[in-house]
Amino acid sequence: MVGYTFLLILLLSAVGFVLNRNAAQELRAGGSRLHSLPVFHGGYALALAGLPALIFVLLWLMFEGSFVSALVRASLPAEAVAGLGAGELSLIMAEVQQTASGLIFGEPAQYVRDAAAYYNTLHSISDWAMFALVLFILAGGIFLARRSVATEFRARQRVEKVLSGLMIFASVIAIFTTIGIVASLVFEAARFFALVPITDFLFGTAWEPQIAIRPDQIAGAGAFGWLPVILGTLVITFIALLVAVPVGLLSAIYLNEFASPLLRKIAKPILEVLAGVPTVVYGFFAILVVAPALRSFGGDTLGLPISPNTALAAGSVMGVMLIPFISSFADDALTAVPRSMRDGSLALGATQSETVLKVLFPAAIPGIVGGVLLAVSRAIGETMIVVMAAGLIATLTINPLDSVTTVTVQIVTLLIGDTSFDNPKTLAAFALGLMLFIVTLALNVVALRVVRKYRELYD
Amino acid sequence: MQDAITNALAIKVACDKVNVHYGDTHAIKDVSIDIQDKTVTAFIGPSGCGKSTFLRCINRMNDTIDICKVTGRIELEGDDIYDAGIDPVQLRARVGMVFQKPNPFPKSIYDNVAYGPRIHGIAAGKAELDEIVESALRKAALWNEVKDRLQSPGTGLSGGQQQRLCIARAIATAPEVLLMDEPCSALDPIATAQVEDLIHELRENYSVVIVTHSMQQAARVSQKTAFFHLGFMPEYDDTEKIFSNPSDKRTQDYITGRFG
Repeated sequence: MVGYTFLLILLLSAVGFVLNRNAAQELRAGGSRLHSLPVFHGGYALALAGLPALIFVLLWLMFEGSFVSALVRASLPAEAVAGLGAGELSLIMAEVQQTASGLIFGEPAQYVRDAAAYYNTLHSISDWAMFALVLFILAGGIFLARRSVATEFRARQRVEKVLSGLMIFASVIAIFTTIGIVASLVFEAARFFALVPITDFLFGTAWEPQIAIRPDQIAGAGAFGWLPVILGTLVITFIALLVAVPVGLLSAIYLNEFASPLLRKIAKPILEVLAGVPTVVYGFFAILVVAPALRSFGGDTLGLPISPNTALAAGSVMGVMLIPFISSFADDALTAVPRSMRDGSLALGATQSETVLKVLFPAAIPGIVGGVLLAVSRAIGETMIVVMAAGLIATLTINPLDSVTTVTVQIVTLLIGDTSFDNPKTLAAFALGLMLFIVTLALNVVALRVVRKYRELYD
Repeated sequence: MQDAITNALAIKVACDKVNVHYGDTHAIKDVSIDIQDKTVTAFIGPSGCGKSTFLRCINRMNDTIDICKVTGRIELEGDDIYDAGIDPVQLRARVGMVFQKPNPFPKSIYDNVAYGPRIHGIAAGKAELDEIVESALRKAALWNEVKDRLQSPGTGLSGGQQQRLCIARAIATAPEVLLMDEPCSALDPIATAQVEDLIHELRENYSVVIVTHSMQQAARVSQKTAFFHLGFMPEYDDTEKIFSNPSDKRTQDYITGRFG
């Protein structure tokens, strides 16, 4: 029924559009000069009929469920619900709803069957009422819109107002989603900080969050200092960038400026394939190829102490993953530098590499910073490679040959298995998430500043 | 009198039977021209006739276009510039170029002018570089306007100032020949007059070749004029003669406004 209602809205709005457009076209064919094009008159009918109907249906559906449930609950026999708590009552209501939709488990009591039947009746009444009201609204909208068609009627302005309203609505959705995400993070993190002092979290150097959530569990003592975790994240990000930025930039410069067209045509897609490899596959590569190679070279040949899981293996493989981000951003930025810059430099007797280094590269910095920033965000947020190759134990170290862990990995491990949302172990995940959010936000702000500074110089 | 003076000047760039192909298009057909030292030579002709293409042969800027092929002989003071022994990078330091649209680098005014001297290692120290920059800006008649803000970005100047900055940038490397590809087409009349005055002064030290769409401009600034048409160069003579008594029918049609 709801589906038919939406179909009805679509159909009748289209009818309104065609009616109004044709009416306007007739006016024009009659020799009068219209203020707005016929298509705007049509669009006005579409908006006047379709939008109120759509908003009405959405509101109706929003309140229908709770209204029907309240009626059904009130109809339950008093002796069946006497003395029941809110939890038990909602269990009964869930049973009623399941029975109403035909999912019957065991033998429901007679009063549940009755309530289910009543529930279905109410729903179908509500559906029909909605259908009828929507039909009325649509007809009214079409009628009003059709009456307004006149040479002087400013349909274009009205339609444009509706369109700008839709665009505002779309941006508001994005903004409110962000606010909602931040709010939920802050709210849960605040509950965590109520259990664990914020100073312990910010300045503690030990991270052992796997505490017991049931009395019979054997677990860690519980220490919630985030420093080792964020340090691990920074070490791995740094290693990844150390690999990705030089390789990505140099390959972009080579492909953009020096490579023959044929080589460029072959090499670019191959480079971009790297971006399409799933991170799990990179994880395999890190533990099966890179980590053993590191151990056999660094450990056996050079005699260095190397753990089985190392920040170096995870970070360098992550760096390979990030190469295409940086190189494609840098490539676009270099291509976007006007040809006149290149010619100007070459005409002064600069060589190709001088031109790249002194003119193209500075001009392309905003785009390149954008790519590096994206790579940093990816590196900080990357989970899978680190879970597989870097380890789970938080160690306060900057030694790349040691095993480290990252913020995202810890969030995953905290939310896997037994969880309980009044326990610091689980809530710590939200505190970490909040800190991660703050760190990436700060990075974004800094990068935006850099980009703006250089862009002003360039334009 | 004018003829006697200009004809006595040495030949700076000698071009013999130059042909240019863009892929399948034959853009320049057998053009031979001797460009004099300390002279302003104007290239005129309808759009697409090959003026700019020919200009870009003289400093080998056409090399940067993959599909472009240049044949024939161009000599700069007797050296074949397309000879395998000639490095285009060094050639371009001797033959400067100013483009149609002002194209200052996104750097400060000072760094724009110092760009060429720095990459060619012309200045021995900071003081000498300062001197070169100042003298180039003075020659380009820009010094008084920018001397107090040498560190502000060159892209912040007005269009006419930007073009003079590009001229200063080109003469800072002390070239022997200055090529100008419609240097005033993006400028307003006042800025155009300033650049034209500048071209007048530049003639004392350089051989200037200017491509222009404006016949008035060619008449105002040049001593010699070459007329290009469909890839050929039908006529090359003293500017006065070209505009008063052209010997080729096509030149006459063009300057009297029959086409172009």
